Amino acid sequence: MRPIIAIASTTVGEAIRRRVLLVILLLAIVLLVVAPGLGILSARSETTVLKGMMLGIIQLFSAVIAIVLTVYMIPNEIERRTIYTILSKPVQRWQFLVGKYLGAVAALALMMALMCVVLVVVFIIEHQDLAAVADVLKAPMMYFVQMSLLAAVAIFFSTFVAPLVNFFLTGGLFLLGSLFNPFFQTLQDNASTNPVAKNAAMIVNTILPNFSNYNIQNPIINPNSQIQNEKTYYISITFYGLCYITILLVAGIWVFDRREV
Amino acid sequence: MAAAIETKKLTKSYKSRQHGLINVVEALDLHVEEGEIYGFLGPNGAGKTTTIKMLLGIIYPSSGLGYVLGKEIGDMDVHRMISYLPERPYYYEHMTGPEILRFYGSLFGISDEAKFQALLEKVNLHRDTTKSISQYSKGMQQRIGLAQSLINDPKLLFLDEPTGGLDPIAHREIRDLILSFRDEGRTVFISSHELSEVELICDRVAIIDRGIVKQQGKLTDLLRGGRIEITVTDIDKSIMNKLELADSSVREHPLGLLLDMPEDNEVNAVIDLVRSSKGKIVSIVPRKKRLEDLFVETVSVKPRSSSTEGVK
Repeated sequence: MRPIIAIASTTVGEAIRRRVLLVILLLAIVLLVVAPGLGILSARSETTVLKGMMLGIIQLFSAVIAIVLTVYMIPNEIERRTIYTILSKPVQRWQFLVGKYLGAVAALALMMALMCVVLVVVFIIEHQDLAAVADVLKAPMMYFVQMSLLAAVAIFFSTFVAPLVNFFLTGGLFLLGSLFNPFFQTLQDNASTNPVAKNAAMIVNTILPNFSNYNIQNPIINPNSQIQNEKTYYISITFYGLCYITILLVAGIWVFDRREV
Repeated sequence: MAAAIETKKLTKSYKSRQHGLINVVEALDLHVEEGEIYGFLGPNGAGKTTTIKMLLGIIYPSSGLGYVLGKEIGDMDVHRMISYLPERPYYYEHMTGPEILRFYGSLFGISDEAKFQALLEKVNLHRDTTKSISQYSKGMQQRIGLAQSLINDPKLLFLDEPTGGLDPIAHREIRDLILSFRDEGRTVFISSHELSEVELICDRVAIIDRGIVKQQGKLTDLLRGGRIEITVTDIDKSIMNKLELADSSVREHPLGLLLDMPEDNEVNAVIDLVRSSKGKIVSIVPRKKRLEDLFVETVSVKPRSSSTEGVK
């Protein structure tokens, strides 16, 4: 366990010093701070717009940070030859990969936590409603599971594809899993769907990580929309995320173990 | 003496679209004894780093066997007893020297601050503990690399171009450190282009070219066969034919004649002959065979032949 913790903490140290990530984070914070001023551009209730906008900013920037943080992680270690000094020590390849992943997730958690702090401060200044803030924070918590899954996808691909390809591959999968999963689900559930299309939809729906599960902003923004058995739902999607992450890491380790570095 | 490294027909091949199967290392037979400094020499692309990576278990051999400290390569137990300093190493730049040692120490479960301090003192970096690696010079980076490679008190060190790109002072510091490793009973396996350096510190060497070991043995054996130059004057021309022994030459010199002969020829007999003919000996200069001469003789300049590059 010690090597994993050491690798993870070093990864956090590196990540929080990467300029590109700090610039993305700074941009997100600036947008969160100016978000209340942008509410006037919409005809909807100011609170609804503010909640939607802030959660949107956090989700979008967290996704960008998760992808940028992880796609270069393994290739950089190989290019700089740091991996050789590490793997020549009593460190197994799986420990290296898991350490890198946990480090990425920890760095992501730190950056998302900072964005949440800004969200809380801005929201309290605007609405002085602590109960509403607690409700809004449920979304970033689920986004964190979503981004951890996204980071696992990127780490998996980084064991065998180049960073640029990985960037588009992971980003594409995120968009597909966020926007089209409900469509595939409908196709699968609809009785009138052609059996071939139904089976294809089922296969795609099973393989594709379901990022849309974690888009829980609607019930938070819109009081008329609700999640049935909220607690059970959160636990089940967190469990789904953990299972998927484990599968991706195991697959990544399998590939990385056979790869010549 | 026990073998620190032993390889039998160790081979590494890669498939290339243009050339088919390329043997980067071909049927390598190495025997490195414990406690010696072993130089692994060869031109760029000869297969030195590939061999080291195979021995470290970072890449996998295509065929053949390899043993490090008596265990098959890739065995995790061996990794506790060895260390590696790669060519032009990179360390996490935000870290300071002590932080680097803490990090590498934690990979072994070592958290002994006194040991880290002693290592920093050994490599003369104990006064630079607050500087981050990004502020280190090349020589300092190489020294912190050596310090991290000593964290686990290794029996065997793999050093890949340890003095590459360093100034003469840093060269000397690193050389002295490597010599101290031998005094401490460690085995050192050095891959290097710095032949004069290797000649000064290595007990035995292997010269690899295009994946094949061309020469291997004790430096004293490999460098045997130096020459001696004797400059003589006022010599009786009638004894000239007697001076031209096997593998010797006599040529004109501004001071008289220059006799060039192998060091194992009978030098005393030649001196007696010169003196008996009333000649004067101006100088006797032994010309030791250098590693560079051996290297150039050994490493051909021909392009890759089909022996190392076969299309399958």
